[in-house]
Amino acid sequence: MAAGPYNYSYIFKYIIIGDMGVGKSCLLHQFTEKKFMADCPHTIGVEFGTRIIEVSGQKIKLQIWDTAGQERFRAVTRSYYRGAAGALMVYDITRRSTYNHLSSWLTDARNLTNPNTVIFLIGNKSDLEAQRDVTYEEAKQFADENGLMFLECSAKTGDNVEDAFLDTAKKIYQNIQDGSLDLNAAESGVQHKPATPRNAINNDQAPNKEGCAC
Amino acid sequence: MADKESSDTSFSSSQASNPLSRKLNKILETRLDNDKEMLEALKALSVFFSENSLRTRRNLRSDIERRSLVINEDFLQVFQSVKEQLDSVYNDVKSMNECCQDMTSRLKAAKEQTHDLINQTTKLQSESQTLQVKAQVADAFLEKFQLKPEEATALRGSRDGTLHMDFFRALGKAKEIHKHCKILLRTNQQTAGLEIMETMALHQESAYERLYRWAQNECRMLTGDSPDVSSMLCQAMEALEDRPVLFRYTLDEFGTARRTAVVRGLIDALTRGGPGGTPRPIELHSHDPTRYVGDMLAWLHQAAASEKEQLQSLLKKCRSNGEQIQDILGHITEGVCRPFKVRVEQVLVSEQDAVTLYKLHNLLKFYHNTICQIICKDAALLNTVAEIQDLSHRMFFNSLNCNANKLLDKVELPPSDLGPTNSLNQTLQLLKDVLACHDASVVAIDDKKQDYKQILSCVIDPLVQMCSVSASRLNSTDMAAYMANCIYLMQTTLAMYEFTDTRLEMLQAQVDAQIDTLVSEQASFVLNKVGLAFVYGTVQQHQPKQGPLSALPDMGGPVLKSAMSKFDSYMASPDSLVLPQSRLLLSGRVRETVKKNSADLICSAYKQIYDTICDPANEYKESPSIVPRTPDQVVRLLS
Repeated sequence: MAAGPYNYSYIFKYIIIGDMGVGKSCLLHQFTEKKFMADCPHTIGVEFGTRIIEVSGQKIKLQIWDTAGQERFRAVTRSYYRGAAGALMVYDITRRSTYNHLSSWLTDARNLTNPNTVIFLIGNKSDLEAQRDVTYEEAKQFADENGLMFLECSAKTGDNVEDAFLDTAKKIYQNIQDGSLDLNAAESGVQHKPATPRNAINNDQAPNKEGCAC
Repeated sequence: MADKESSDTSFSSSQASNPLSRKLNKILETRLDNDKEMLEALKALSVFFSENSLRTRRNLRSDIERRSLVINEDFLQVFQSVKEQLDSVYNDVKSMNECCQDMTSRLKAAKEQTHDLINQTTKLQSESQTLQVKAQVADAFLEKFQLKPEEATALRGSRDGTLHMDFFRALGKAKEIHKHCKILLRTNQQTAGLEIMETMALHQESAYERLYRWAQNECRMLTGDSPDVSSMLCQAMEALEDRPVLFRYTLDEFGTARRTAVVRGLIDALTRGGPGGTPRPIELHSHDPTRYVGDMLAWLHQAAASEKEQLQSLLKKCRSNGEQIQDILGHITEGVCRPFKVRVEQVLVSEQDAVTLYKLHNLLKFYHNTICQIICKDAALLNTVAEIQDLSHRMFFNSLNCNANKLLDKVELPPSDLGPTNSLNQTLQLLKDVLACHDASVVAIDDKKQDYKQILSCVIDPLVQMCSVSASRLNSTDMAAYMANCIYLMQTTLAMYEFTDTRLEMLQAQVDAQIDTLVSEQASFVLNKVGLAFVYGTVQQHQPKQGPLSALPDMGGPVLKSAMSKFDSYMASPDSLVLPQSRLLLSGRVRETVKKNSADLICSAYKQIYDTICDPANEYKESPSIVPRTPDQVVRLLS
């Protein structure tokens, strides 16, 4: 209760990348505010948002860095890959060019993040079925070939948006459980907070904490 | 029996008048069937009058009387017992009455005796009630104005310094009691109020002291990458907010712990990188200044954002204002200033290339703006960024000035085609590069304008100067063409960028001056070639008082005629007499302007000559044959 939204055990750092105008900021806004932002201005450099989610009963805080898609910011945004546990790579299903650029984004993501970073491919604007320029199958194949997770979403209707962020978190969490992600290493993009505060409560009282947290 | 007697009597009385008849009548009138009394009497008579004889008739009366006597005696006897019983009842009632009276009197006495007692009891009862109410009030008072023993214990806490949630409840209560005491003080209970207040203040003081020690300890341990801000600590901060000094000290402790963590984080990112070296440590890119500095700045930006969030989560229950958060945030981010500054300064000082310096400058400016959205302007980190930005600004202009000085130190001679020198081309390329990277940056328009102005004056002014110096040994026509070419190149370079209008205007003015020179050179060249220069000069200087022009030497008809025929052949092919320098002009527009303006000049000269020759006062014979073409024709031919 009083411990409120801050009572989380992990912080996962995400980065959202992709061409200009594919709807990166709208995805973030849809995820954090559950609203569609109709007239989204161009992102300048980077912006960030947070939300707390729950995976396997663990509260996880997502710290999501939304980068500018414009080419002139490329140098700036590259510096933000460092230490991301999850990278959401976004293209616009109605513009093939944004899909064609994925390999360059993927190269950046692979080079600039750590090997355990979960890369999630998102085909945005799935609500514009009539204007579709990239088929689901084609993108799915691309994702499979490169070992990426994949979903088509719509930041406008909110369709699948939640899943994309949550599935990424689940995958990261699974990596932690497997031991393939080393929490102690710097810049793993994950920060762990022990659930019970040190030195604050005697062991026998620890279980009560959730109940009585006033 | 009585009836019988009365009927006997009436019988006898009727006999008296007519005794018998009357008696008879009477008997006859008698309705024995209906006279129950008579029937009863006769029935009773029949019981004992069994023998109707004289004697019995004579004795009847006495018999009846005797029987009556017996009956009365029986009657008397029966009533005697009734009376006796009644008497005994009477006696009983009487004794009862006496008893009751006795009781009444005794009761009365008793009542008189117990009256006091009852009074006393009532008094005591009411007293007891009052006392009970008082006890309740006292209980309520204690409940409200005293800590329960367990609460006091919770406040004193355990020996190992740990805290429980009870502590906060008890502390809250102590605080409330303290507050309520103020109400007490307003009533008559001032002594109690003061005493309780004092006790509570003592309780609170020791509790706050303990809380402070605890919170300080907790904060001191928050040095991880992502500190664990427990809900207990948040609560502690909320409670400590009532003691600004302790609150401040605790926050300072938090700030110091975080500050250490951030410094360590930066150093780790710089030197260790991610797990297994991916992402690679930032310092591995120190050979690439923009990436190196950009990575550091991005790291700082992210760290500042995370720290702010952590701070906000620590103070989420406090009324604490943003100012305090900013203050602590400033403190937290202060630690990284030095390691960051040292590295960037090193990069800046060793960098020669103006373009790179300018990129760095723009990068710093961009991050100054970006980080500004997270921490306030007067934080040490932003000051550092601003300082470095200032340094980068100076270094950039140093580099530009250095370049300019080099240009002026070693001026190249103009090439024979009067085109741009190498150094001019190189410098213009540098300018293009610089302005291009400005385009790629995100800086406020005002800044951009200001920057452009400064950059242009740093580059263009020395360039123009260099060109003038380099042109100084040329003749005026060459100089004009060369300068026009150089400035034209500068113009075409600048025209692609914003905020260059004023500069372009200034350059245009210089070009115009060069064009004027070229125009007059071209015109006089043509006039010289066709031999009209002297004629034109004479025509211009001629005064009517000097007499007719034809009389002057070398101004005779034949001389003019031959000059005019040469002019005619020039008009047939005007391009034959174009200055070689005009051909070398790079700008088509300038070339055209020179051609057109020089033609205009020649036309006006021709018109003047024509008018003078046709003037009768100048006494030319056959003037139409000397100047066969009208000025209008000449204009048409030359344009």
